[in-house]
Amino acid sequence: MISFRQVEKHFGDFHVLKAINLQIERGEVVVVVGPSGSGKSTLLRCINRLETVTSGELVVSGHQVNDKKTDINKLRRDIGMVFQHFNLYPHRKVIDNITLAPMKVLGLTRQEAEQTAMSYLEKVGIADKAGQYPSQLSGGQQQRVAIARGLAMKPQVMLFDEPTSALDPEMVGEVLDVMKALAKEGMTMVVVTHEMGFAREVADRVVFMDQGRIVEEAAPGEFFTSPREERARLFLNRVLNH
Amino acid sequence: MPDFSILTEYFDVYLEGFLNTIYASVLALLGSFALGTVLAVFRISSVKPLQWLGTVYVEFIRNIPLLLVVYLFYLSLPTIGITLNGFVSGTIGLTVYTAAFIAEAIRAGILSVSKGQSEAALSSGLTYVQTMRYVVLPQAIKIVIPPLSNQFINLVKNSSVLSVIAGLDLMYFGDRVASKTYATFDTYIFIAVFYLALTLPLSYAALRLERRLAKQG
Repeated sequence: MISFRQVEKHFGDFHVLKAINLQIERGEVVVVVGPSGSGKSTLLRCINRLETVTSGELVVSGHQVNDKKTDINKLRRDIGMVFQHFNLYPHRKVIDNITLAPMKVLGLTRQEAEQTAMSYLEKVGIADKAGQYPSQLSGGQQQRVAIARGLAMKPQVMLFDEPTSALDPEMVGEVLDVMKALAKEGMTMVVVTHEMGFAREVADRVVFMDQGRIVEEAAPGEFFTSPREERARLFLNRVLNH
Repeated sequence: MPDFSILTEYFDVYLEGFLNTIYASVLALLGSFALGTVLAVFRISSVKPLQWLGTVYVEFIRNIPLLLVVYLFYLSLPTIGITLNGFVSGTIGLTVYTAAFIAEAIRAGILSVSKGQSEAALSSGLTYVQTMRYVVLPQAIKIVIPPLSNQFINLVKNSSVLSVIAGLDLMYFGDRVASKTYATFDTYIFIAVFYLALTLPLSYAALRLERRLAKQG
């Protein structure tokens, strides 16, 4: 479903992604972890071309992401994305945040789009907030709206870019719960996070990155109990024992 | 105390000028807003030729005098066979000139909307134009209202440039009344009052709008 082959990415002189090879299958939950600046978010953002790769091959649902012939807008419909800072549209009510893309991109009528939006708002547990503006919601609620917004396009894969990093600690759980439920339903998910508990519990596979490279790839049981690489061990020591 | 008989005697003349000034201002306001928005979007687009076009337009137009822009339409176009009257060429010149300033104000507004907004919109499959139209511009507009209202007030005042090319505006008729009555002070005081009757409500409306949008959050 997503395949990186020898992908390289430079930001000017900065070599962000180095020889990335990664396959993600349909229905898989892949959690990407690693120290900040290791290229995790960049890796994720390449998948829907918010960042362009410098060289190598990146295929999503059978389409070359960086081919000029690929209709990127069409490809992005099938890739939901949730951001660290939610990025809800502050001038639109919660419901209108969710209906915008289904109406403008998929051509749904307002009624159809609102129906879908409400069903996803119920799913993330905040149907009662539909008529409010994002600024009236807590961080956790906003992030759940953002997830509903992504789901409303019925994507084939959901990308999560540090979805809980900007949240107050007491709100992390409610967002992770929604993500867990989603994973159980078989959604293909790529999650960049520092939540090791989530990775351990939900991931099918953990990808550990450091300095632009994928250093280790393993099932969570294996990764958290006996990482093969020294750098992964050091990282886990730092994040798990604090 | 100004001589009110000038106002009463020449009221029809004042009124015609006043209405023409409103007419020219409204047309130029709508035109320059539309053109300025397009230019702003050009300047921040990733398409190089559009960027270049927007930049050249803005830098060229805003760095030459308004009167010169108006002359281009009034005096230069006839040499290639297009003759426009003073009102039309003045209004077009005013539109073209003001658009450059509006483009800069709107560009600043667009750039102040966080990048995450367009990333969220684009990643949901919206096109660049849809992203601008539904997500970025509605937010940019709020930020841009104070500088925009300044530009619109300037536009109303700048419309007096029409008087130089027989544009039949308020200032043009003011000049006519003054040269007839020789009562320059009294004539122009009333002209000033007419301009204030346009610009003060505009300032007030802008302030109100700004407050209302601020409340929406």
